[in-house]
Amino acid sequence: MTAALAPAPSRRAPLAAPARLLWLELRRNPMLWLLPLLAVLFWLGIYRPAMASPPFWNVRATDLQHAVLFLGPLLAGATAWIGSRDGRRGLTDLVGVTAVPRWAGQLTMWAAATWWAEAVYLGGVAVVYGVTAEQAHWGGPLWWPVAVGAAGVATCCALGFAAGALLPGRFTAALAAVLVFLALGGGAFALQNNATYAQMWPLNVQGHLPTDSYGIFYPYLPDLAIAQVMFLAGLSVAALSALGLPAAAGGSRLRGAGATLAVAGLAAAGTAVGLAGTARLEAHGIVIPALHDAASDRPTSYTPACSHSAVPVCMHPAYRSFLPAVTGALGPGARPGGRPARRAGARHPGRRHDRAAGVQQRHPDRRRGHRRQPVSGLPAAGRPVAARRGQHDGPVRRGATNARRADDPERSRRPIRSGGAARRRRPARLRRRAAAGLTDGGTGSGRHGAGEGRWAVTRRRAGSRRREDARRLDPARQREKPGGEGLDVC
Amino acid sequence: MNVEIAGLTRRFGRTQAVAGVDLSAGPGVFGLLGPNGAGKTSLLRMMATVIPPSSGRLRLLGRDPGGYGPRREIRRRLGYLPQNLGYYPSFTVAEFVEYFALLKEMPSARVPAAVAAAIERTGLGDKARARLRTLSGGMLRRAGIAQAIVNEPELLLLDEPTAGLDPEQRVAFRALLRECGEHATVVVSTHLVEDVGAACSEVALMNQGRIVFHGTPAELIARADGTDAAGDAPLERGYSAVLAAARSAAGARA
Repeated sequence: MTAALAPAPSRRAPLAAPARLLWLELRRNPMLWLLPLLAVLFWLGIYRPAMASPPFWNVRATDLQHAVLFLGPLLAGATAWIGSRDGRRGLTDLVGVTAVPRWAGQLTMWAAATWWAEAVYLGGVAVVYGVTAEQAHWGGPLWWPVAVGAAGVATCCALGFAAGALLPGRFTAALAAVLVFLALGGGAFALQNNATYAQMWPLNVQGHLPTDSYGIFYPYLPDLAIAQVMFLAGLSVAALSALGLPAAAGGSRLRGAGATLAVAGLAAAGTAVGLAGTARLEAHGIVIPALHDAASDRPTSYTPACSHSAVPVCMHPAYRSFLPAVTGALGPGARPGGRPARRAGARHPGRRHDRAAGVQQRHPDRRRGHRRQPVSGLPAAGRPVAARRGQHDGPVRRGATNARRADDPERSRRPIRSGGAARRRRPARLRRRAAAGLTDGGTGSGRHGAGEGRWAVTRRRAGSRRREDARRLDPARQREKPGGEGLDVC
Repeated sequence: MNVEIAGLTRRFGRTQAVAGVDLSAGPGVFGLLGPNGAGKTSLLRMMATVIPPSSGRLRLLGRDPGGYGPRREIRRRLGYLPQNLGYYPSFTVAEFVEYFALLKEMPSARVPAAVAAAIERTGLGDKARARLRTLSGGMLRRAGIAQAIVNEPELLLLDEPTAGLDPEQRVAFRALLRECGEHATVVVSTHLVEDVGAACSEVALMNQGRIVFHGTPAELIARADGTDAAGDAPLERGYSAVLAAARSAAGARA
């Protein structure tokens, strides 16, 4: 053959063979081409909604855990495509006669694809948390929801890759994407139908609790997240181990190890589902007794943020951005020597919880891209930006509700029931209201009706809230209580 | 002997692709000739440990590829170019060759130099950083040959290696075959008898899954003496004569 200039051997110390293989796969992985698309999906599905939410760490973490809904189907399809690469390219023979077990080569391909997928996800997490760190007044990043999200991303990659490698075909990638999408949707359906195992659904964050019930006044309970990570890791291990089962994957010992790992993965996933069956809903999160750390039940200590007005108004520091607005609203009505009004907790504005579906839903006004309507008694103009961003859309009633729930041990220790059962237990009058698109009022836990009726109800409800706010904030209607000198709105 | 085959058969459903082959080969270039469907590729795939034989005895590099451990050891010292070479379009030539060097468990420290040498020996030095999708069919074939020889194999199996190569490249490739055959067993399956005549020290002719001739190219040429076998070159006439004799014998048996 003609002699020509070949690339000079690198003078750098060579990487170990597996690392070099991984490096080659990373450089030439088709997932690289999908990075812009994944980034756009993250921006549309996670970043924008997260930035439209108030800058609370728990709210943003919840959004990050939901990333798998937006990224998962595409990742499953892409990794199925990658997994079927050798079959499609006619390289099965050539790769099959190399000394490295085929299984190891496939795991390297999966690792490279997953690396890029996780890079997008974790890069997005870094951006969201970085912005939140700038905006939030209290607290720190919650890592368990991120761990569940990252595990969900890896699991989608593993399931898709295994499907592509074991069943290479023209439609495998599309089927894998559709099946993962349906599985994620099916989780919502199962949760709605009171299926305990559906707690494992990777989009489920602390069951049906509203987002202000965890991670602010109490530590974030990682029990469910641990079980979810265990479940997802088990599924991933089982899927990847299945690649080691075919005869071409390697020797009998390797295949035996693959079978053992597959069984172990399935056992881990099954154990996680079993653990979820023992879960119970407490006032500040889902408790799985086997995984629970009692230290997490203690309220989080904090130093209230107080205004320097004549009548100090104190709030939980997480809600510090609301302080000027609340002070401005309450100031005229708070007379020196007046009675204090303690209001525990505050509902996150723009957030509503759909108990039936078990997912957080945005306030319809926010979904339409609107900022919240000005609350009666608070001037829209001239308020600080932070206050406008985090404006309340109603009285701080959730905290009181949760406090009552916490005070009632019987109620708080009931096993978790999802919306289906709860709906069945509801009085007929409420069921009729829910069917007509009306929510069940104060707790914001009802289901919305579909279509126009929902918006009408929302408007009606917002008007009712505004009237209620005005009633509460009107100095003339403030009822005096003895013994207090300030307002403590925590 | 690097290749020892006795009574080897391979069946695909009702089709008997290889029907009792006996063969042995030591260092040197071994040509495997035969018409389409004679069983050359099936025999080569069994020798490459892609598929197991249905029956018979196969020993490669002194090991039985039936066990996973010996098979893995054989694969470390094996080079294989399949008939239909697949490739990763986004890989460069150097990456493609390096990828297979790593899969063949070459020591990491030796890989960069071995890759550069293999690429240079196949005449792709100026295309080392070109993506495979940009190469012509002949260049892709040479990239395939480069990955086969990157680990300096003791057993090199090439299925139709010169398909798509231009005459100049074929001449250079024959030189490469002779060079490899000095220390390794090179088995070349081809339709091109001139390649066999130029590069092979031994040749076998297959027909309907059986070896109908095994000898040197000169012996194959001699088979045409006294016959009116078709062909433009002496080796072609010998090939045609052996094949015609095998077919008439098979017809008589039937």
